[in-house]
Order: sequence, then C-alpha cells, then structure tokens
Amino acid sequence: MNSKARSWFKPELLAKTFGIAFFVYLFFGFMLLPCLNTLAQIFTAKNADGVTDPLAVIRFFFAGNMPSYVWNSLKLALCLVVTVNVVGVSIVLLTEYFDIKGAKILRLGYMTTLIYSGVALVTGYLFLYDSDGILTTWLYGMFPNMNRNWFSGFNAVLFTMTFACTSNHALFLRNAIRGIDYNTVEAARNMGAKPFKVLLKVVFPTLVPTMFSLTVMTFITGLCAMSAPTLLGYDSINPEIVRLAGSSIADEAFPQARAALLSIILAMFTIVLLTVLSSYERKGHYLSVSKTKAKLVKQKITNPAANVLAHIYAYVLFIIYMTPVVMIVLFAFQNYPAIRSKSLNMSEWTLINFFGTQDYEFLTNRGKYRLRENSISGLFANADTVGGIRLSFILSALAAALACVIVVVAVNYIFKNKNKKRSTVLEYSLLFPWLLPTILICYSYRTYFNSSDVWYVFNSNLYMRENVRFLIVMAYTVVKLPFALRMIKAAFYAIDEELEDAARNLGASSLVTFLRVKLPIVLPSVLAVFALNFNALFTEYDMSATFHSSYGKTYAMVIQNMCAEEGRDGYNVNASGRRCASTVFIMLVSGLILYLVYGVGARDLGDRLALKEKRRKRWEKFTGRFKKEKGQAAA
Amino acid sequence: MIELKNIVVKFGDFEALHNINVDVKEGEFFTFLGPSGCGKTTTLRTITGFIEPVSGTVNVNNEDITHVPIEKRNIGIVFQSYALFPSMTVYDNIAFGLKIQKLSRQEIDRKVREIANKVDLSDDQLKKAVSQLSGGQQQRVAIARALVTGPSIICMDEPLSNLDAKLRVQLRNELKKMQKDFGITTIYVTHDQEEALTLSDRIAVFNKGVIEQIGTPNEVYNHSSTEFVCNFIGDINRLGGDIAGQMKLDEGKHHFIRLERIRVNRPKDADELQLSGVIESREYYGLYIKYYVQVGSQIIKAIEKNDGINIYEPGEQVTVGIHPSDVMSYDAAPEAE
Repeated sequence: MNSKARSWFKPELLAKTFGIAFFVYLFFGFMLLPCLNTLAQIFTAKNADGVTDPLAVIRFFFAGNMPSYVWNSLKLALCLVVTVNVVGVSIVLLTEYFDIKGAKILRLGYMTTLIYSGVALVTGYLFLYDSDGILTTWLYGMFPNMNRNWFSGFNAVLFTMTFACTSNHALFLRNAIRGIDYNTVEAARNMGAKPFKVLLKVVFPTLVPTMFSLTVMTFITGLCAMSAPTLLGYDSINPEIVRLAGSSIADEAFPQARAALLSIILAMFTIVLLTVLSSYERKGHYLSVSKTKAKLVKQKITNPAANVLAHIYAYVLFIIYMTPVVMIVLFAFQNYPAIRSKSLNMSEWTLINFFGTQDYEFLTNRGKYRLRENSISGLFANADTVGGIRLSFILSALAAALACVIVVVAVNYIFKNKNKKRSTVLEYSLLFPWLLPTILICYSYRTYFNSSDVWYVFNSNLYMRENVRFLIVMAYTVVKLPFALRMIKAAFYAIDEELEDAARNLGASSLVTFLRVKLPIVLPSVLAVFALNFNALFTEYDMSATFHSSYGKTYAMVIQNMCAEEGRDGYNVNASGRRCASTVFIMLVSGLILYLVYGVGARDLGDRLALKEKRRKRWEKFTGRFKKEKGQAAA
Repeated sequence: MIELKNIVVKFGDFEALHNINVDVKEGEFFTFLGPSGCGKTTTLRTITGFIEPVSGTVNVNNEDITHVPIEKRNIGIVFQSYALFPSMTVYDNIAFGLKIQKLSRQEIDRKVREIANKVDLSDDQLKKAVSQLSGGQQQRVAIARALVTGPSIICMDEPLSNLDAKLRVQLRNELKKMQKDFGITTIYVTHDQEEALTLSDRIAVFNKGVIEQIGTPNEVYNHSSTEFVCNFIGDINRLGGDIAGQMKLDEGKHHFIRLERIRVNRPKDADELQLSGVIESREYYGLYIKYYVQVGSQIIKAIEKNDGINIYEPGEQVTVGIHPSDVMSYDAAPEAE
C-alpha cells in the first residue's frame, strides 16, 4: 500500500500525468470548444424581436445573397482545379519529362512561388497588372481605349492563383515523375507504343495518386482563398466571413451567426473532400515493383512543329512566372518618382526602400512647395513595418517551436504505445485541425475568447489588447499541428528499433535514450518542420486578417496596408517602394530557410564531416601557398 | 556460466519458448541455430533482458539475473542491423556506454583507442561518421561498442546477415579470431547452418520454440538426434521404402543418408548395399559436382569431388553404394509427415 502511494511521486508518472492533462486542455480548450461554440452561434441567433430563433440564419441564407458567396468560392475552386492542374502538369512535364532547352532556368522560374506567396505574391501581381500597374500602363499607352481596371474580380483572382498555387505540383509531382522507372517507358516503346501513347498509358497512370491529392488540395485552397479575393476584390466566402466578423447587429442582421454559418459550410466541404482523399489513399497505389530503377531520360519531341510550340509554351509560362519577380526586385532599388511613374530609371539606383529616411518635397494645391521631413522611409526605418516584422517574427517563431515540441513529445508517446487505443486517440486529436478551415479556427477564437466568461483561461478576455497575440500564437500552433505531425511521424519511422535496444543495453535510461539517440536522429526533420512552419507563418495573412486587431498587426497586414496607403499624396509616398523591398526581403528569408532545410538540413553526419574535411584541406592549401610565398619573399 | 532453466516465454496467447534449458560454458562460442520464427532470437533477448520470461530462470555465474534490468546485466550485444547511432561519429558510438558509466574523459579515450586498436579500426576511422564506413568496418564498430564496457558475455544476433556472400565468409573468420583473442563467452544467433558449423564450439538447434539438440558441430551434423535436425542441417537423402526394404531397415521409421556418404561407382564393401542407377542430371559447383541418380523409383543425390576422375554424363550407368552405418533413422515424427 505504502509503496503504491509512493509510486505516485515518480517523476516519470508525474510527467506523464502533466502531459495527458496538457493535451486534454489543448484539445478541448483550443480546438473543440471554440469551434462548437461557433456551431452553436448559428442556432442561437436572435431575431429582430430579440427572441432566439434557431433557424433564422438558415432562412436568411436561402432568402438573401449568401449562397452567391458559396457559389463564387465553389466556382473559383472548380476553375482552379482545371487551371492549376494544366499549368502544374505543364511545368513539371516541361522541366522533367520533355527535353526542353534551358530546362534548369525554366525550373528556377517555375519554382519562384516557393519563396514568395500569399500577400507578397498578390501585391507583386498588382504591381504589374493593377490599374496603374507597369503592364497596364504600358498597354494603355498602346490601346488608350482599354479598361484600366481590367485586373480585378474573378478573372484576376483565377489568373493570380493559377500561378501561385503550383508550388505543390513543383514539389510533389516532380518527385512522382522522377520516381518513374525509365525501363517501363523503354519497354512500352519497345512494344511499339508512340511517345504520346507512352505518356498517356504508362507515365500518367503512375502520377494519378499524386494528381488526385494535388487536385483535392487545390480545391480546398480555392475554396478557402483569402488574400487574392480580398486584394483583388472578389466576393468569396473567406473575405465575407472576415467582413461579417467585424460588423455589428446595428448594421445588418445577425452578422456573427452568418459568419459562423459560412465557416461551418466551409468546414463541411473540407471534411467531405478530405474524407474522400483519405479513403482514396487507403486503397493503395500503384507501387513500382522494380528493384533496380532506371533513371528517367528526357524525351525529345520528335515532331518539329510540336517541339517549337512546346518551347514557346514553356517560355511564355516562364515569363508569366518571372516578370512580377524581376520587376519587383528591380523596382525595390528604384527611387520614388521611378516607382510612381512605373518606369525604370537605369541611371539611378537606391537603397532608400530598405534603409534610411528621406525628406519629401511636394507641390500643394496653392502652388507652393512644401517639405515633409523623413516622410520617405525604408523597410527597416519605418516603425510600422519594423513593428510588423518583429511581431510576425516573434509570433511565428514561438508558434513554430511550440508546434514542434508538442508534436515531438506526442509522437514519442505514440511510438512507445503503438497499437494502443490511447495513442490513436492522441494522433487523431492532433490531426483534428486539418479538418477545419483555418478561418473557422480563427473566427471561433475571435468570438469565443472575446469574453470574460471562459473559466479555463482564468476568465480573461483573450481578444482584448495585447492578449490577442497569445490567441494568434495559439491559432498558428494549432493550425500547424497536423503538418508537423505527419512530417515528424515519418521521421520517427526512420528510427531503427534496435537503436533504442542498443542504447538501453549500453546502460542509458529512457530519457537519455530519447535525448542522446532518438532526438539527434529526428532533429533535422524537426528543424525542417520548424523552418517550413516559420516560413509559412512569417508572411501569413489569412489568420491575422481574421483576428483583425491593431495589436496583432503582422507583417502581411502591414504589407496589405501599404497597398491602401499608396496614392495618398505626401503621406507614405514610398509605400510602393517599401512593398517591393518587403517582397525582396521575404524572398530572401524564404530562400534562406529553404536552403537551410533542403541544402544544409539534408546533409547527414557523414556529409557534414566530409565537407568539413574538404574545407580544412582547402584552407591548408590556401595557407600553405601563403606560407610558401612568405618563405620565398624571406629568401 | 550462463544457465537457462525451464524458460517459458509467451506473447499474448502464443507460447514462443517452451521449457528452454541451456548451459553455456565460460569462453564458449555457443550458437542458436534454427529457421526464422523458431525462438532463437527470443531466447537471446531473454538472456539480454529485453524479454522477461513467464517462468524459468536465467543464471549467470550462478547468480539469478532473470529480473535484473537490461542495463545492469553487463551483457554486450551486436545487433543484426548493428544499431550504430547514425548521429554520432565512430568514436562517439564506441564511447557511448562509457559516457553513461560517467568515466573520466581520459579513461574513455584510453579505452576507446585500446578497443579500436584490437578490432583494427584506425584513428582516422574513429573520426568518421558510421555511414562513411563499409559493412565490414561497421561490424567491427558494433563489436567494439559491445566489448568496450568489458562485458562478461557478448550476444550476436545474425550479425552477418546483411552482408554480401564474400564478405560474410571473410568476416566469419575474423569473428572467430576475435572471439578467440578476447576469450569472451559468445552467444551467436543464426539461421545459416554453414555459419553455425564453422564458428561454433557447440550448437543448439531450435524448432518451434523448443531445443531439438545441443551438441558440437560434428554431433549435430553426423549424429542428428531428431529428424528435424538432420533435415535442417545440410542436404540429405530420405531412403524410400524399396531401398529401406532391401537394407532390412525398420519399416516404422524414416531413414536418411547424407549426400557425401553415397558411394558412386566404388568397389563394393562387405556389408554395403550396392544398387545400380542411371545419372539423371547433374549440378556443377566447381569444388564438387552434385549428381541426381535414378535408382529404381527414387532419385538419390550424391556429390563427387571435382577431381577430373569421377565425372559422369547424364544417362550413364553407375553403381550406388550405401553403408548401413551411415543411415540415420528416426521414429516417424508427426510434423515430418
């Protein structure tokens, strides 16, 4: 009896109890309850007489214009599935399957979306195609009768998102195509199949599983689109939810309940799609049975006309991908007048969009010149922008780290309790946010925690003032849990069970085994997940826009504000320049992170030691030559 | 030295080991041999402490260690995959156990270099990552890591199974030499009968969770105590009813004879049964040739040294001699039916 009582105070048991309590708190407190509250909002809406009417919102939905938002989102999603797949498959085939001249450079162009996306990308497109954008201005010069506002609404959103959403194709479809056993292509050719037939009957079927997943993900992306519809003006579900969330009963009928209904509709679509996807994935795929895979050899297009057309197509795509990037980079180093008139001034380059401040002299209505001191400021000299960068940096780093820690601890537990119910429950609860659109989670936080009645957060209003930052960190963390879980779990699979046995046999406790043996093995993957999550969150727009709080003004919100600030004479005149500089800065940060993850992070200990040795030899050679020269000089 | 008494291990309802009794002597190279799933690795893991038996005891030097934690048993292991820590250098792998023991840095360094020297690992190799070493070198690291803490016993779980054929033979010899040099009691698990016969002082042959025979390689091969052992080790002919009848062998039993004991085209011995047969086909092995001889209704396999003298063509008439003392007979075991 006594020993039983004492066993309660074992540190391992205490840690376990604390861990379970934490996960229960996280799941119920920050996943389930806020979302259930949103669901309940729909049925507790009060009508004009102040009486609760459970079906009021649903009646309103069918009577008003709300279905048009749903339809608009569906239309966008459906069209995107077609356009993104066409462009995505094209860019992969053109760089990996067909022999196209300059494929390496083309690939770099097609992959630019990996280093800038979301608000940065949309503002990049705006910079080019907006009513006073470079391309529009140029076209207007040629066709004075054209509509300068041509780049807005559905077509603009579809165009922008088509090229913005091919990142997954560039990563996953590329891997799938590279995994094809070339011998199967040769076998088909040997049996008399023509190149197009080989592509259709041998290559495509192996890509179907990847294509299916990409299609579902694209559909969900289209349905949940936020930055492009907001900035380009398209009435889809997400921007409407954000608008309703900020509206009040004084202006319109039960805005909150309507926002809740829209987000639940979005969630239902997502759940159905993901269920279809996972049941499809469970069916299993075509697996290559080959033990000795032959590397894919690029296929020459033998028909000369088709070859020329393919090259033209490839380079047109390249121009579409690259023009915004090149223009933004160039204009980031141009001064205010050049940016304002959208014409490059090749003789004058400046760093003012990045560093330092400058006075701005302008002509008033009364014909006098006035000077506004320090009104032009660079990215790192502008308090607002630096504040946004700092806030985003801290919040994203915290959330990315938190998600990694939670998932590493959870996955270690899941692997230790394999095939047990409790580990399955834990896994599914961490995957839960995957089913919910990001906006539902954020909207739910915003409404549920905007009260002093939530006992488990000590009755403090988490939406008030600085508290919202905590809420943003929690939302960031929760949203990133499923991705972290999938990636880190895959890393844990790579740990040979015998390693754990070996460590224990050599005398290590389970904590030492975890810290010294298992963690170093999964650490590169964990750091990669941290970096990728940080990268995504650093320029994240959808969530902070949903929270819409001046205390949670993240970097993406600041960039969005820059768009609004432009054109106001005398005030923030260089917002455009700073926006270009911001995009360059984001591309640098993302590029650096991707390099760290896929370049440095992919090296194992052997690679690292070999590199160290190579550097040491190079250094010795260098110093040796120096010494030799010194010796000769002395002689 | 190591004594397993009436060990029973269960996984749920499945009894993986039934009443295992083994007595390994000090300094002995003792092999657990058997097909996969026979319980040999389970027995090894019971000795090392990864599995706790339902009943029975594990004694080392007359001390009961059945319930002693893994890390306190002082038994080294070389795993099938070697289980070298990929995130550590060769040096750190070997030093791992010593660091856990909290030895001083100088002491660790001295011991690591001493053992590395013994297993033929250079200073340069110690600085490398394990992934930069060849299969054979990795095996030496695994052995050094298992030995550096000075265990009284070393267990090896199929340490040669993930190497190619040539390296296996080479490392087999190295392994035996190292064991002799260190003089350490070794328990070796394998399903490869050739490995077991060449390496071991004694072999325990496992089948379906029981030990069928414990003996020296010669005893196990030439005097297999059960039909399973005689079938599992080496190739063998089962004598059909015709031949057994002519030799007046017990009809209620199964009779076997090793291939190398079949005398093809030799002068007839006094008590030998000589039959005539036709060469049906042959397999060429270089060192020897295996003949399939049709004798009556049965095919008898025989091998002949490839010395250029005893070369027969398919279709050729030969005599086949069988010595009654070479025949091994067993009661018809139910599983052999």
